[in-house]
Amino acid sequence: MELFIQQLVSGVSIGAIYALLAVGYALVYSVYNFTNWAFDAFMAFGAFMAFVGISSLFMPFWLAMILSILLTILLSVGAESMAYRPLRERKAPRLFMMISAMGVNLAVVNIINLIFGGTFRKFPVESVQPIFVGNVSIGRMDLIAGLISFGVLALLWLFLYRTRWGLGIRASAIDIQTAALMGINNNAVAIIIFVITGVLSAIAGVFYGIKYAVYPMMGIVTIKAMIASIVGGLGSLPAAIVGSMLLGVLETLVSGYISSSYRDLFSFLFLIVILLFFPNGLMGKNVDEKL
Amino acid sequence: MPATSALLEIHDLSVYYGGIRALHGVSLRVERGEIVAVIGANGAGKSTLMKTIAAVKSYQNGTIFFEGQPLPKDTHKVVTSGITLVPEGRRIFAPLSVRENLLVGAYTRSNRQDLEKNMEEVFQLFPRLKERIHQRGGTLSGGEQQMLAVGRALMSQPKLLMLDEPSLGLAPIVIDAMFETIVRLNRDLGLTILLVEQNASLALELCHRAYVLKTGEIVMEGTGKDLLEDPRVRASYLGIK
Repeated sequence: MELFIQQLVSGVSIGAIYALLAVGYALVYSVYNFTNWAFDAFMAFGAFMAFVGISSLFMPFWLAMILSILLTILLSVGAESMAYRPLRERKAPRLFMMISAMGVNLAVVNIINLIFGGTFRKFPVESVQPIFVGNVSIGRMDLIAGLISFGVLALLWLFLYRTRWGLGIRASAIDIQTAALMGINNNAVAIIIFVITGVLSAIAGVFYGIKYAVYPMMGIVTIKAMIASIVGGLGSLPAAIVGSMLLGVLETLVSGYISSSYRDLFSFLFLIVILLFFPNGLMGKNVDEKL
Repeated sequence: MPATSALLEIHDLSVYYGGIRALHGVSLRVERGEIVAVIGANGAGKSTLMKTIAAVKSYQNGTIFFEGQPLPKDTHKVVTSGITLVPEGRRIFAPLSVRENLLVGAYTRSNRQDLEKNMEEVFQLFPRLKERIHQRGGTLSGGEQQMLAVGRALMSQPKLLMLDEPSLGLAPIVIDAMFETIVRLNRDLGLTILLVEQNASLALELCHRAYVLKTGEIVMEGTGKDLLEDPRVRASYLGIK
């Protein structure tokens, strides 16, 4: 029983990281109808910047985290203004946007590889004693990762549903041209969205780096976020979060009780089974409701 | 050209879709307090004209002046300068509530204190919307959606309200109510209105002046009354021999 609860907590914590990534995808997808393939490079970039902050600049963890977030925002907005906006303004098909995103991904990952090398690095945080609740031990980093991720998601929800800008983004997700006719600046919306995805990918990158390792290709894990958002229902934020939690828990249970080498097998199997019975994902019943 | 007192002054406007000419040398003016209608058949360029003024479509030639200033070429800046378009087919935000739709309409407003008061004015105009305030826009009937689209545009407190085919897809009784509202907006609130409409007789009856658009060119211009009596207009657009 203790093991099960430990697995559950660990699963929710990794699920929360997937949720950050899945929400980042869903946000861009819901407004621009393209998958931001550069997202996993942003995540690796975020992890490396925090890594540099701690190991080379001797920053405390929280400061390195802020540095990482700020730099990843710059990268994300930079990609938007250099790689996506010019295409959007020329009304390019969304396939072009995706190819452009892949280009950004390749460039960023390879630059990281060139500077830091392709080796796996341990994230430089000292391991701390787990917290014991009865006989259940909970990793402190799991707890922090979970809490911060949920905190960020809650803030994002407040922003989207309680502010004027958030309403503007939701309107843009429904119909970007009519949103412009209401006086909403499409490019300003784009910048806000890419600032948000920068924050999400940096935080996810740092916590994922802590949990596993920091390496240029670490962003490959975003495939899990894709699975999670498809399982939940593509393009919807709450669905992305639910899908991520399910996937995170499933993966840790498989790793704990069966074998970690079968983990990904079960993830993809899960996707196939869900799609067999829920072709639109678990919560993807309503096509017009996006955010 | 911009020296006149007209609210909106369009001169020699040409718009192309690729190589195809949609508008050719269109000149048009809207004075403060007027209802101006543009009538014409399908494909005459009416919607293109609206989209061009709203800066959704860019133009190759000509000038558009609003309040004596060149009109901005970004869609959202056109709204900020005081022109709001009620787009063809209403285009309300279906998943958002009626209230949220109206709030999106007020997006550009810097003066946010009067928002609730302004919303109350919209509800006085369209009491049905108040009954449905928390309902999703997509669940409204066609007529209610048109009310919402007009109400949403009014929330931006425009100096010029543009309506693209306000009668499209509505039942005749709903159309009558909608046009009565348009007249009231103009007469009681002094709102300047530019509308394009396929339903020529309705548009000519309520407008002060009208233009007839044919394959991208203005072929006739006059008061609504004059055009209603013009034999060519009667034959081509009103179906009266």
